Amino acid sequence: MSDTGQLDIQIAVYLVPDLAQQDFDAYVKLVGEGAIATDGVVLVTKDADGEVTVQETGDHLGRKGLKVGGGVGLVVGLFAPPLLAATALGAAAGAVLGKLGRKRLEAGIGEKMDDALPPGSAGIIAIYDHDDAEAVAGALGNTIRSSIAQIDKASAKELKAGLEEASAGLAG
Amino acid sequence: MSESTIDRTVLPIRRPPFGGQTKKTLEGSVPDWNQAGHVQPPAGAPNVLLVLIDDAGFGNPSTFGGPIDTPNYSRMAEEGLRYNRFHVTAICSPTRAALLTGRNHHRVGFGMVGEFAGPFPGYNATIPRDCASLPRILSDNGYVTGAFGKWHLTPSKQQGSSGPFTRWPTGSSWGFDYFWGFLGGEAGQYDPLIAENQKLIGVPESTEDDPYYFPDDLTDKTIDWIHRVRAERPSGPWFAYYATGCSHAPHHVPKEWADKYKGRFDEGWDVLREKTLARQKELGVVPADTELPENDEFPKWDSLTETEQRLYARQMETYAGYSENADWNVGRVLAAIEEMGELDNTVVIWIWGDNGASMEGTLTGTFNELTTLNGIPLTPEQQMGLLFKHGGLEAWGGDLLAPHYAAAWAWASNCPFDWGKQVASHLGGTRNPLVVRYPAQVSDPGGLRSQFTHVIDVAPTVLELAGIPEPTRVDGIEQELFNGFTFADSLADANAPERHTQQYFEAVGNRGMYKDGWWLAMRLPRIPWLLDPEALRHFGPGWDPDADPVELYYLPDDFSQARDLAAKHPEKVEELRKLFWEEAERYHVLPILGGLSSFYGVVPPIPKDSTFTYRGRIENVAVGMMPRIYNHSYTISADLIVPEGGAEGVIVAAFDHLGGFALYVLDGKLKHHYSMLGVLEYTQAAETPLPTGDVYVEMVFAADAPKPATGGEVTLLVNGEPVASGRMEHTVPGMFSGYAGMDIGCDNGLVVDRAYADKAPFRFTGEIKQVTFDIAPHMSAEDMQALHEHAQQTLAAHAASA
Repeated sequence: MSDTGQLDIQIAVYLVPDLAQQDFDAYVKLVGEGAIATDGVVLVTKDADGEVTVQETGDHLGRKGLKVGGGVGLVVGLFAPPLLAATALGAAAGAVLGKLGRKRLEAGIGEKMDDALPPGSAGIIAIYDHDDAEAVAGALGNTIRSSIAQIDKASAKELKAGLEEASAGLAG
Repeated sequence: MSESTIDRTVLPIRRPPFGGQTKKTLEGSVPDWNQAGHVQPPAGAPNVLLVLIDDAGFGNPSTFGGPIDTPNYSRMAEEGLRYNRFHVTAICSPTRAALLTGRNHHRVGFGMVGEFAGPFPGYNATIPRDCASLPRILSDNGYVTGAFGKWHLTPSKQQGSSGPFTRWPTGSSWGFDYFWGFLGGEAGQYDPLIAENQKLIGVPESTEDDPYYFPDDLTDKTIDWIHRVRAERPSGPWFAYYATGCSHAPHHVPKEWADKYKGRFDEGWDVLREKTLARQKELGVVPADTELPENDEFPKWDSLTETEQRLYARQMETYAGYSENADWNVGRVLAAIEEMGELDNTVVIWIWGDNGASMEGTLTGTFNELTTLNGIPLTPEQQMGLLFKHGGLEAWGGDLLAPHYAAAWAWASNCPFDWGKQVASHLGGTRNPLVVRYPAQVSDPGGLRSQFTHVIDVAPTVLELAGIPEPTRVDGIEQELFNGFTFADSLADANAPERHTQQYFEAVGNRGMYKDGWWLAMRLPRIPWLLDPEALRHFGPGWDPDADPVELYYLPDDFSQARDLAAKHPEKVEELRKLFWEEAERYHVLPILGGLSSFYGVVPPIPKDSTFTYRGRIENVAVGMMPRIYNHSYTISADLIVPEGGAEGVIVAAFDHLGGFALYVLDGKLKHHYSMLGVLEYTQAAETPLPTGDVYVEMVFAADAPKPATGGEVTLLVNGEPVASGRMEHTVPGMFSGYAGMDIGCDNGLVVDRAYADKAPFRFTGEIKQVTFDIAPHMSAEDMQALHEHAQQTLAAHAASA
């Protein structure tokens, strides 16, 4: 497998939360099997009463998977409402991220996820090697809309550091 | 005057000759109190409760084997009779017109729906004076009459305060004594625009704590009316026509009703059809050898993704809950009548559907039924994305959506028949359940009747049960006799002769001819849920209807039209085809597709008025009365007085967040919001507050070109100075809403911009001297004609699906 040096950031939204859970599990399984390398994945579900639940990968990912560690904040930080709203409208993923830029992504860290999800829905945000895109697409098959952006790994590291820092602030 | 001396065949019934004597003074004069009285109905004439459900199928109610729990309908059937070969016209207003006149729909001008008043006798939406209506006849014979709920028999251009009112429910054409409901073909169940008698009384208030729901209010109003009539007139019959807007789109019902069906449709429409048929056989409402016709236009459930299955299942859960709620509400009316001790003296006639279930939601169903009508094709992915945007799956059935289910659910709803609404060539569109309860005459409660009956038979049946003859003259005009036949004797006699042996069917070009068990099906080769110029082009000049494929069925052996015999019996095909054309000529069916003439260049003269000024408080303007701002440049301007300290609120708002526009002031600043059917939304906002004093504001839309869905530039101006601008890439090409209204100075019902939803109706706190629409087209004659044709086509398309 060639290494393009690119990471994909995918945001996938779901009309049905348990189908999102199904995809999330499939993704984690692929990571666990070493089939894909990830910088993290998060499942956000919002139940019919509006209660939001966040489920993330831990440090147990397989040998090909990147150890996320405190990477809780990475994908959560990416989960900014403007981004998701644009996704639901069907804007092209590249354009979305291109317009928003990294600064916008960071600025969205403090946003509430429940602004973006209607009750009884879910979203997955995943960051993975671009080379694994096909495998990820197979895992996230139940999404009704997804948006994928590519960044280079170098800037991802920088982004990751910033997001982790912001995430720590959120925890307080 | 004794009953025997009353001539009820001439209406109004003439005042009896004076039977007393008059002298110069009262001394010696002999009174005759008959002079002062009003007409009395025949002795023993029963009350009549006529119930009509909307857009529903033969296989919907559990009473006929369907999956929707209808305990009240079943109770009426168990205490009365089920009719399993009862027919309607396959489309809305035509069935209602036929029901209330006893004549074929084209004969009374309703070859199409009420909104569309066309240029041919069969399609002018004008009941002729020689076809007096059932309510008029009953009223003239001493009944008190009331209509409640959906009307759909008044042209949309006549639904304003300026009338004319002849074609309103209480107008001279229809003759009801009282009306409460909505005039159009559909309504939001949470924010209907209500009319009472001859006035639009507005959108009822609704709050989060006390949400409004039309079916409940409809029922309350019906019961109130019956109570009041009986209180003021302890004896004497009434006639109540209860026509709920359920189960027509938008499929609105509180969540708890939909949730009752959670999981019950997870197996999909293919399995639902099979299970429904099995129950129907068990109940005996279809013969044991009934087969299910196949239809490749609908996707197999197993071919769908899991998300699609979950979405579509929720669509049907909502529809089922919505329909069960209708049964529950009718049950409340029945309970009220029973509590009064009058149920057994009431003829209950309950028709489950004015046509078969509707396939107009397209293959995917839709979050907003108006997208289809406006010719905006949405892929399954787009539909789901927009559903996500507008509240997700949990919102289905709520007020944030105007949803319609997938066409295949309608197909399953019409089980065991093929096709559905609009398709008059097939039983899926034309055969609906009928239940009649009248203990005084029913000989075998719980029995089944299988005589061929039709909606035009109801009026003559009601008159026979009431002991009222069919009038021969009304208002001095000789009457055409009913086209239908009474089936009153079938109440007592299961083997009563079948009088209705021949019947034509026609709706939107789909044709059927029934005679003595044979049925020739002449379906327009078109997908029913596609109604646009391209889909209809084939049926323009040069089209030969007789060259289209036909199907032939012998119904006594083939209850569900599953075995096509056309190839085996060409002579029967020709016989019935010839008979159809004879009937078509006799009843004004011609020209075929007369209701869609606008698709072929036959349009009314272009309206000359281009400036509309609204002064003072004008609210609840019906959709058909709105200035047509579509597809070209227009300006909305307003003369305001803004007090010191500023003002806020709506200057003008039309329709709602799923399609509409609003010019308003929020935080002191002028804003314009435009919702392109909930698919796209645009807002332009001034950055500086409105000045105080006399202020002149304008919203100018400069279209790119006079063409459907044109984009263009919006400019907001205050006292002639631009304060904001923006582009709208796509605009609504045909119609924002099927039922919401326009308000000056507020935004009644569901609001256009959710940004001020918490302030609704967000009344303007300054003064609005006037709001003016300038829709002067400023375009070439050719462009003007093209847009006019488009507007008429939209109206006709809406008509076909209403």
